[in-house]
Amino acid sequence: MRTFLFKRLPSGLAVLLAASFTVFLMLRLIPGDPATTLAGPDASPATVAAIRERLGLDAPLLSQYLHWLGQVLTGDLGPSYAIGGQVSELIGDGLAATFQLTLAALLLVVLLAVPTALYAVSARRRALAGALRALTTGALAVPPFVTGVLLVLAFAVGLGLLPAGGHASLFDAPDLAVQYLALPALCLALPSAAILARYLQDGLERALGEDYVRTATALGVPRRRILWRHALPNALPSAVTVLGLQIGQLIAGAVVVERIFAWPGLGQLIEQGVSRRDYPVVQDLLLLVVAGYVAVQLLTDLLYSWLDPRVRWE
Amino acid sequence: MNAFSAGSGGPLSLPAISRRALLRGSLAGAGLLALSACRSAADPSPGADAVSGGAASPRRGGVLTVGVGVDFTPALLFAQSANSLLQRLVFNTLTRYDAQLQPQPELAKSWEVAADGLSVTLKLREDVTFHSGRRFTADDVVFAVKNLQNPVRSAQLRSTALTVADFRKNGDFELTLVLAHPVSNLFDLFEFMIIPDSQSVEDAVAGTRLVGTGPFTFTDRKPGSSLSFARNEKYWNPGRPYLDGVEIKVIPQAETLLSSVRTGQTQLTYAVRGKDVATLKDDERFRITQYDTGAGAFYIGANLSFPEVQDKRVRQAIAWAIDRDRLVQQALGGYATVSSVPWPKSSPAYREQDATRYHHDPEKAKALLREAGVTSLSLPLAHSSDAGSTAVAQILQYDLKQVGIEVQLQPVDSPTMQKQLISQSMPALWTLSHSFSQAHPATLAVSAYPFNEAKNTSKFSSPAYTAAVQKAWNRSDADSPEAKALYQQVTDLLLDEQFIIDLAIAGLVEVAGAQVRGVTLNKYSYLNLDDAYLAG
Repeated sequence: MRTFLFKRLPSGLAVLLAASFTVFLMLRLIPGDPATTLAGPDASPATVAAIRERLGLDAPLLSQYLHWLGQVLTGDLGPSYAIGGQVSELIGDGLAATFQLTLAALLLVVLLAVPTALYAVSARRRALAGALRALTTGALAVPPFVTGVLLVLAFAVGLGLLPAGGHASLFDAPDLAVQYLALPALCLALPSAAILARYLQDGLERALGEDYVRTATALGVPRRRILWRHALPNALPSAVTVLGLQIGQLIAGAVVVERIFAWPGLGQLIEQGVSRRDYPVVQDLLLLVVAGYVAVQLLTDLLYSWLDPRVRWE
Repeated sequence: MNAFSAGSGGPLSLPAISRRALLRGSLAGAGLLALSACRSAADPSPGADAVSGGAASPRRGGVLTVGVGVDFTPALLFAQSANSLLQRLVFNTLTRYDAQLQPQPELAKSWEVAADGLSVTLKLREDVTFHSGRRFTADDVVFAVKNLQNPVRSAQLRSTALTVADFRKNGDFELTLVLAHPVSNLFDLFEFMIIPDSQSVEDAVAGTRLVGTGPFTFTDRKPGSSLSFARNEKYWNPGRPYLDGVEIKVIPQAETLLSSVRTGQTQLTYAVRGKDVATLKDDERFRITQYDTGAGAFYIGANLSFPEVQDKRVRQAIAWAIDRDRLVQQALGGYATVSSVPWPKSSPAYREQDATRYHHDPEKAKALLREAGVTSLSLPLAHSSDAGSTAVAQILQYDLKQVGIEVQLQPVDSPTMQKQLISQSMPALWTLSHSFSQAHPATLAVSAYPFNEAKNTSKFSSPAYTAAVQKAWNRSDADSPEAKALYQQVTDLLLDEQFIIDLAIAGLVEVAGAQVRGVTLNKYSYLNLDDAYLAG
């Protein structure tokens, strides 16, 4: 296993190095630069030149790249150009906020999807089942930026129950944090909940059509027990696979939802970084994403090699 | 029927979960939510605790929530930027202008400008301390001026700060600034220049610690989310501020900000779009105040290195072709004033006949184009890619097409636009907004790059313009008839040359909850909450 890891590690590092160079270069190719952004529209070229010098942007590109690589390797990511504060703290805070939002959304996905699917398959009236199916189709079809505005109108403006946007720390003020989290998490969860509900409903309907269900019914097993003890466990594995796939979608969707609800996560951070040409923030964030993918790939390879020894011998 | 109906392949009817059970579950969920919600995040006035005064007198206490669309950029602390509101919360200036543009005391108790205009002597307050506890002295004014002279601070009034050639201290609380030449906008500098703590200025531009002498102390910042301030208990202004604190919330999405205002979670904002303000103005829960400056002056710039726009008659034709009234109504929600000049009504350079010199006259525009020998013209027009700027650009494109000028819109993002602006690499035409016409006219011509007489985006140069600008700037009196005559010379040249074609002046629109009182802004949009309070 260790030998296998040593074989795979260099390719992972090579990918990271290539990605770092690409990210660095791509950012420099985008028109506009941090110095002009920080100088403001009324600045003179002398001001821009002074800011460029202070940021070290007047140095040759290779020297800038090596300086950044050194920062990454030593773990000292340095200060942000425009947003303010240390990049590592900004990324840490953003990561925590996005993680919080994604986790809450994931919980809501399960809480919404499972009862909906169970209720749809157990509904006496076909009309009700049809209505639930239509509801899930609607939740799937309406994009989060529309759902977000509708939720704000209903729960913040109309009912005045929840805040329209903002953030509170889960550790400092958990009661407020839950309220700030409710609408963005719901907005993020709805499409994934709809997908999961439909998969689970299909799975349950298939399971309920099986012979063992008919046998159990004939034997007089209570219908609630059949659903919970027999049909649901058979339908769950495929639903869990779908739920796993939805986690990626939730993280991607968080970028949009964070902006709607002024949620200070990674989506907001990268948007701020790009719009202000804050090179350190954007570079480090993108490299972190690539590193995440490389790590997942390595872990998957390791898992395959553990499950199938032939892979190790190749 | 109480058993599964096992039809051929169809779904089984399974009445396993009753509606009663579902209702019970929902109620339990709501109960849990209610339990968790000991406080309400939707409460419009957290911490409001007025303790004194009658209905009409100021009340102490409460936290004011201010909504902004753009986060604070620490590196631009010493420049006017999209979010300059917090400057006057944490810091003070030496003087502040009243409505008549006359300086009033702040950290400077009194001042005396020398007869030759080559120096100004300031007498400073002796009862001021920084939030760190350190005493404010003349050395802090020296540091503040030198700080603005540093180009990395991006201060728009750097050219005026650079005229301060020497400092002469007479004790800790009297200071003479010696100028290289007289300047007519010295008090614009004093209105603009915040006095930072010299010992923590680098922390301030990094956004980690803001230390000033102002009414509120900086307590916390969550980048992209919020800034928090608490009352400065040792503020030099007796009994002020009334508020316990201020919370600035960053809400980038316009619809969310509007909802936040409607629900009372945002009590004060200047970031509601013009078209949205219309939906609030008849609601008695809100008070709308329109300032005559602060949101920029919209203009079309012409890059004179392109032969198509080198003839000033072509530029004048463009000025006549634009329907400014429609632009203000449709693109700016009616919250702007049409104008052919950069000056707002409060400026000493303002004259009604100048502001209305160019109005919508397509026939006159066509005649000027014919006179210039132009039969067909196709020009690119750069604009910021945000929705508001795109709407402005589309109206300009339509109006110019009516007089035979085909315009290709070139949307670019804000950093690219700024780079093109500063590096003089704009296409033949661009549209943007400029600032710095809100105080004395000389400030515009020496501080706003598009109007700079020495080097500007348009690559326009003219000995007459340079002479007029320098004469208007290099004098100590700012409001005398002679000064106004010089401002008129600058205006006449701008109106004739049209390298910058002014369209409309947009003022900041203040949307405040009806309970918010006593809020003011200075000429550079610094929020002054010394006298602000939340009425009961």
